[in-house]
Amino acid sequence: MKRLFKSLLIAAACSVLALGVVGCGKKEEKKAEPAANATAAAPAGPKTIIFAADAAYPPMQYMNEQKEIVGFEVDVIKAAAEKAGFKAEFKNVAWDGIFAGLAAGKYDAISSSVSITDERKATMDFSDPIMAIEQMLVVGKNEKATDLAGLKGKTIGAQIGTTSYLVIKDVKGFKAIKTYDEVGLAMEDLVKGSIQAVVADSPVAVDYTTKKHADKIKIAATLKSDKVENIGIAAKKGNKEVIDLVNKGLAAIKADGTFDKIKEKHQMK
Amino acid sequence: MTETAKIDVGEGAAIPSKNDWGLFNAWVISIVGAVAAIIYLLVAQPDPYQRLLVYLSDGIVITFQVTVTSICCACVIGLITGLGRVSKNKAINLVASTYVEIIRGIPLLVQLFYIYYALGRFLNVHDLTAAIIAMSVCYGAYMGEVFRAGITAIDKGQTEAARSLGFNGKQTMFLVVLPQAWRTILPPVGNEFIALLKDTSLVSILAVSDLLRRGREFSSETFLYFETYTLVALVYLVITLILSKGVSIMEARLSHYVRR
Repeated sequence: MKRLFKSLLIAAACSVLALGVVGCGKKEEKKAEPAANATAAAPAGPKTIIFAADAAYPPMQYMNEQKEIVGFEVDVIKAAAEKAGFKAEFKNVAWDGIFAGLAAGKYDAISSSVSITDERKATMDFSDPIMAIEQMLVVGKNEKATDLAGLKGKTIGAQIGTTSYLVIKDVKGFKAIKTYDEVGLAMEDLVKGSIQAVVADSPVAVDYTTKKHADKIKIAATLKSDKVENIGIAAKKGNKEVIDLVNKGLAAIKADGTFDKIKEKHQMK
Repeated sequence: MTETAKIDVGEGAAIPSKNDWGLFNAWVISIVGAVAAIIYLLVAQPDPYQRLLVYLSDGIVITFQVTVTSICCACVIGLITGLGRVSKNKAINLVASTYVEIIRGIPLLVQLFYIYYALGRFLNVHDLTAAIIAMSVCYGAYMGEVFRAGITAIDKGQTEAARSLGFNGKQTMFLVVLPQAWRTILPPVGNEFIALLKDTSLVSILAVSDLLRRGREFSSETFLYFETYTLVALVYLVITLILSKGVSIMEARLSHYVRR
């Protein structure tokens, strides 16, 4: 009995200690927060805009080995921030749920190759287009099909909640349509033969078929659409301040040639 | 003493005790509440809830498939492992113990990724198959421990009596020890069943179109996060409650002859 009491006492002491450490950590965080808010609120300092990015989308935004979010769109936003006089901070957020986080106010904007669609415009605001993209059909090296119709009876995949998925969602005749959390996992399944095709945004499709898996997969076709698909920065409905700042920056870097230089750096056409 | 021996593994939803047959117990309140909530939502807001339920329906079937198949496989693996763990043969014992140690030391989510994506490079398994293998192998190890505990909880006198009556080792285990142990084993095994059912939601990361994945697809497209996850949670709750009731009925039948 006495021993039981003793061990209980030790356990209690340990938990108090652990709680104390966590508590201290929280307090420090709280102390730091008002300071950050103060600088943001001060009229002299530049405004900080927090951008959410699904950093698993090369070459648009991805994590490098130094655990920094890098990529074409990240460079574009950073350059735009410099011109328009705001500070851009990036936060890695999983794609599935990225829009819910924006609506909940967890960050100011989304910079994650978000295609501007009418459905999305109903729930959020968009900046001016950054660039136009297309949907591409990626298949295994030995696949003969050159369009969606040629893949009847086969399994096809796309990233969940993307415009790529919308393209195949209502097409009949596939054995199965699979949705992935990350486009990279879909490409991985394609490489090992679990699925026979992937639909993805053109920059991503080009990146995977020319760099990572150049010897195993190829682009079969560009899926024609009667509408131009543009990507842009998304902000919460009514957040004019963020949209205006981003638009100002984008216009500036497009006017002075910085945008083209970034495109060249990332080997985009 | 042996007949009332109980092992409690506090995991998963509580299995209602067989004495809980009153009108106002936790199980009745939960299931009536959950079913009523689903019906209310479907009637009060046919759009989007009816559309949503239709979209989720094949996901519910997949979740069910994964659960039932995994439970069957895990039971077989668990029984073999449990017998191996109490075996006097050193080699068998060592193999079974090592299996349990390794599997219990790796999170299920990592095992799922490992079997599908890491091993997938060498042997191309179908996503559903990979999910079932991972769930069975993982829960087989946990159930092996439950079986071992149940078998060792049977009084040694039972084995001694059986052996002195001329039963051989196999007969003793399968005719005397296991039938008695099953009663002790069932409640914790039932808990494992329920934990397994809930953990099948993890297989959605392999892009298996289960209930959770279907819900995520629907919500990511329609932005109806609240509606989708409310219904997904309620459906999981109903399935879990039905399963837990099934286990408790089985338990009541098995302990029919036990004096309390």
